[in-house]
Order: sequence, then structure tokens, then C-alpha cells
Amino acid sequence: MGEPTRRTLEIGSQHSNDYVCAPFKHIMGAYIEALDAGADVLMQFTGPCRLGYYGELQESILRDMGYDFEMLNFANVPSGSMKEYAAYCKRVVNPHLSIPAGVANLLACLHMVERMDSYNDAYLARAGFEVEHGSFAAAQKRFFQDMRDATCAADIDEAYRRGMAELGGIAIDKPADPVRVGIVGEYFTAQDAPSNLHLEDKLLAMHVELARALNMTSRHLHYNEPNLRRSISEYVAYDMGPTSTLTIAAAKRYMEQGFDGIVHLKSSGCTPEIDVMPVLQRLSRDYHVPVLFLSYDSQTSDTGLDTRLEAFYDMIAMRKAR
Amino acid sequence: MIEAYLGVDTGSISTKGVIIDADKNIIARSYLWTEGDPTDAARRVVDELASQIDTSEVQVVSVGTTGSARRLVGAMLDAQVIKNEITAHAVGTTFLHPDVRTILEIGGQDSKIICVEGGIAVDYAMNTLCAAGTGSFLSSQAHRLGVEVEEFGAIALSSKKPANIAARCTVFAESDLVHKLQVGYSKEDIIAGLCRAVATNYLNNVGKGKKIVAPVVFQGGVSKNIGVVRAFEDALGMEVLADPDGHLMGAFGAALLAADVPTSQRRPFAFDVDDFEFRTREVVCSRCANHCEIICVYKDDDLIDSWGNRCDRGAIRVGK
Repeated sequence: MGEPTRRTLEIGSQHSNDYVCAPFKHIMGAYIEALDAGADVLMQFTGPCRLGYYGELQESILRDMGYDFEMLNFANVPSGSMKEYAAYCKRVVNPHLSIPAGVANLLACLHMVERMDSYNDAYLARAGFEVEHGSFAAAQKRFFQDMRDATCAADIDEAYRRGMAELGGIAIDKPADPVRVGIVGEYFTAQDAPSNLHLEDKLLAMHVELARALNMTSRHLHYNEPNLRRSISEYVAYDMGPTSTLTIAAAKRYMEQGFDGIVHLKSSGCTPEIDVMPVLQRLSRDYHVPVLFLSYDSQTSDTGLDTRLEAFYDMIAMRKAR
Repeated sequence: MIEAYLGVDTGSISTKGVIIDADKNIIARSYLWTEGDPTDAARRVVDELASQIDTSEVQVVSVGTTGSARRLVGAMLDAQVIKNEITAHAVGTTFLHPDVRTILEIGGQDSKIICVEGGIAVDYAMNTLCAAGTGSFLSSQAHRLGVEVEEFGAIALSSKKPANIAARCTVFAESDLVHKLQVGYSKEDIIAGLCRAVATNYLNNVGKGKKIVAPVVFQGGVSKNIGVVRAFEDALGMEVLADPDGHLMGAFGAALLAADVPTSQRRPFAFDVDDFEFRTREVVCSRCANHCEIICVYKDDDLIDSWGNRCDRGAIRVGK
């Protein structure tokens, strides 16, 4: 599958309920493009928001459209036990699946996720200060290709080592006290560049140091919600939603670390992240760090986003310059 | 010969322009309707400004543009500064009112709030998905009621008992307004109710979660409406200052930013926009399924700027 394009979102929206959140539409478009390209198994995650119902709904829409495929919908394993996941995969996809081989590959895959997230952290911190335009993007492209070519854990480590070394070697011109922005928000919109209209690239082009704690590593591989919530116990008494604790804890940490601004991203109508907004507003008042709230749907305009980001950048940069 | 700076703010509904001198005094001002043609509106604004100054005495040495057509008008006027309207408004207002703490802004199709501390913007918000309660909503309702939008404020003040109009959404506000008319509410009560609805809507949406601290300055085209000013004062329980030049604040801010450009970037502005024809052409890039719409701006037959491509494959280079 290539990168999603505007067409992906258009066909996704065309076959989705208008009021459903934008991630549903993006995924829907990607499913249709995948099926048209010959895919015969589709996979959907589950989660503690409407996402739990999306797999079933998407499957039913696609079947109504006449597509024939197997649906691996993890919402069908409500227990969450590894054993049941494995049994479910065997039943739906491949009855001859070797469990030991599957587990080994899954572990390698998680290892790759962790390495890629770590690479991305370094990328976001440095890419805004590149001396030669496009040097970081080109290095990132090579790194992704290396990761794509990796066939075992050793390949992954080697690709990571090479990628990080190359990233560290690119010339940058970074001021001693750069403008720093922390990105928080809803799982899909804040991580998926086509969904957020390449917000990170736009901010990097303004010479900003970025940090985004929200990624698969921190949300899945090293996620301990009760522990994380202790750091925000003054603000939050219980787990409010899929990424709520992470959003609030990350925002608070950035503010404590002296970041100049926070950008909060969510799809329009994302109830859990709407609930987070008053908490972020309180944090903003307590720490005197501005928060830019952005809400995306399939109609969000690139120009409108540029205006808001430029204004936000001007504001925090002018404030810092004083 | 005195040096001066030009600022032009091209919005969805109106286009504003000012010329300021080295002491930052406004020496020429213009305000007219965009009428869906930003290049022509900018041209008319520039002509009107030129007629207010003595071009043998005053030399404009830098230009700033802002507003939703800032890039297009910036290309046309060869501007040194092309700045978003939020920054331009903050810069303009904090210069005139150094002690301001909250700036309320309602324009033709957008509304924003800017929180200021010590003369510098520290937080802002802008309406996102919905244009309810902006100037264009008021003009369309004025049209429905058969009054000029400019008379709205005075009529609203004459009401003793403003009608309660649903404020959340333009569509609901409109159907509520029609209902109230049909059951016999007087026009002034309805108009006063509309002004209140605009203020309530603003405070519940754009202003939500923001601490509104005095002194408060209200600007943008809607600040000319005394009915809305009064509605804000009632809702906030504090004085709301509507500057007589409040509608020009974006253009003033752009001019201030233009005045700050380094000497090396300054060049005489010739006021010769009438001598050229400015055209735009839209090209749909077909290199991938993104189908980026690339805007090309031509001055007579020369391409002077282009934008809209998401990647370098769609870049259209400007020949110098």
C-alpha cells in the first residue's frame, strides 16, 4: 500500500456516515484501496471508545458494497487474552499458523515499533533546524526503507543503528533556546500525518523542536495507566478514556519542562478527548503555557490550519523573545 | 520626503487599508467591501489610500498584508510582510492599547479571542467548524428583516425587552428568529435578541475556557454594532471598548510589522497597481491522487507566485 492520498479520504467519506469521526473515514478509504489492490484479510483494532464498534460496522458496510474478504476484528476477543487472540487468528486467517513462529515475529514487530518510535523522537527534536532543506526527510525515507527490508530482530537493530547515526550526522543550526512545542491528543489523529494534514512537518518548517509522547510504545508497550495517573493526581481522579491520561500527563510534563506551547489534536466529535480539554485549560492557566486546540474532520482546510499554526508560532515566539 | 508604511487586510467581506508614518500615526485609511474579488478590492483600497496622501511628500517604503487573501494580495503588492490576521490584530491592538488584557474580534466569517499579558499575546482561540454569530450571519438576518446592518445597533438599543433567540447555531437561530417574528415580537426586540445571541454564542464557543480580564477591546467589523457591544458589556459585567479604528486593526498591525522590516528590504512602493493586470489560474496537479490545486498568480503575463502544492513534484517555479 502506498501513502494515503486525498482520494483515500474521499472514498472513505463517501462510504461512511457523515457524523462518524474522521479516523473511521480514513481507515474506510484505506480498506477500500487495499481490497481493490487485492487484499483478502482486513484487520481492525479495538479500544475503549467507539473504535470498539468500528470493525463490525466497517465490515458490514464493505460486505454491502459486495467485497469478499476475511475480517480479523480484535473486538471479537473481548477477554484480551493472548491465547484467545492466537486461536482467533488461526480460525479466521490461517488454521495452520505456527504459534511459536507467530509469537517470534510478533515480538520482532513490537521491537521494530519501539525502535521506530525512538527514531521519531530524535527526528522531531532535530529536523526543524536542518541546514540543508530536505536532508532529514531524505534520511527518514532511507530509514523506513531499511526497516521495510528488515527480516529479523538483528536487521531491525542494524537499521536503527544506521538510521540514528545518519540522523545524528546531519548538519543542524539549532539555537541554544529553541521554541519547543509538545504534541498531545487523540491516538489516530495525533499520530497519522495524513489525518492531521502533516502538522509536524508544518511546525518543523517553522524551526520548532517537537516532542510527541503519544505513540505505540508509550501507549501500548510501556503503558501503565495507574502509574501515569499518579503524576496528574491533582487534576484527574480516574481513567477518562483511551488516551486521556497520556494526553494530560504528557501536557503537564511538557509544561513543567518549560515547553513554549502545547498543540492538542483530535478528530471532531471525539468524546474522550473533548473531556480532556477542560483539564488542559486548567493546566494552561496554572502553568501559563498556551494550548492550541485543533479539531479535524474530513473537510478541515489546510489554509485554516496554516493560519492557526502561524499565529500560534508567532505568539509563543514573540513571548519567548521578550 | 517622509517615509511611510502600507498595511492591507483583505477579509472575506471587507478589505481594509492604512498608511502609517514613522511615528505610527495613521495618515490614510480605507474600508470597502471585498465583493468576492480580493485583487480588485485591494486595488481599490490602494487607490483610495493614494488619493489621501501627497505622493510627492510621502514615500511608502514597505508593505504588509494580512487577512484570508494575504498571500494573493501580498504577491500583487510585492509585500515584504505577509502575516496571518491573528498576529496582525494582536500587534495592532497592543500598540494602541498597551494595557489591554483581552481582545474580542468578530469579523465577516471568523471570530477570535486573544488573551494578552504585559502587551504580548499569551493565548488565543479562533472559531473552527462554525461561522455562527459572525458578521455575515448578522448581514443575512438584517436582509431578512429589511433593515440595513449598519442600523442594527441603534435599533437594538431601543429595545426594552430583547427576545430570547437560540444562540447555539446559525440554522437554529434563524428558525427561532422566524418563529418569533411570526408570533408577533417587535423588530427591535428581535434585533436586540440577535445581538445578544451573537455575544452569547461567542462567549460559549470561541471564549470557552478563556479567562476574560479587563481592559477588554472589541474589534472587527461587528464591533461597529453598538448593540453587540452592549450585549458583551451586559454578559461580562465590565466595560468593553470598541475603538473607532477597530475595524482597521488588522491593516494597522500589518503596517506596523512592515515598519519593522530591515532597511535592506525596503523599496519604494509605486502605487502603480492600476498599470498591471493581475490574474490567477488554478492548475490541478495530476502527479498523484492528492490532486493538489495549485494557484498561479500572474502580473500581466508573468508568473509572480504560486502555491498549493503539497510536495516538490507539484512545484511550479517562478521565473525571475
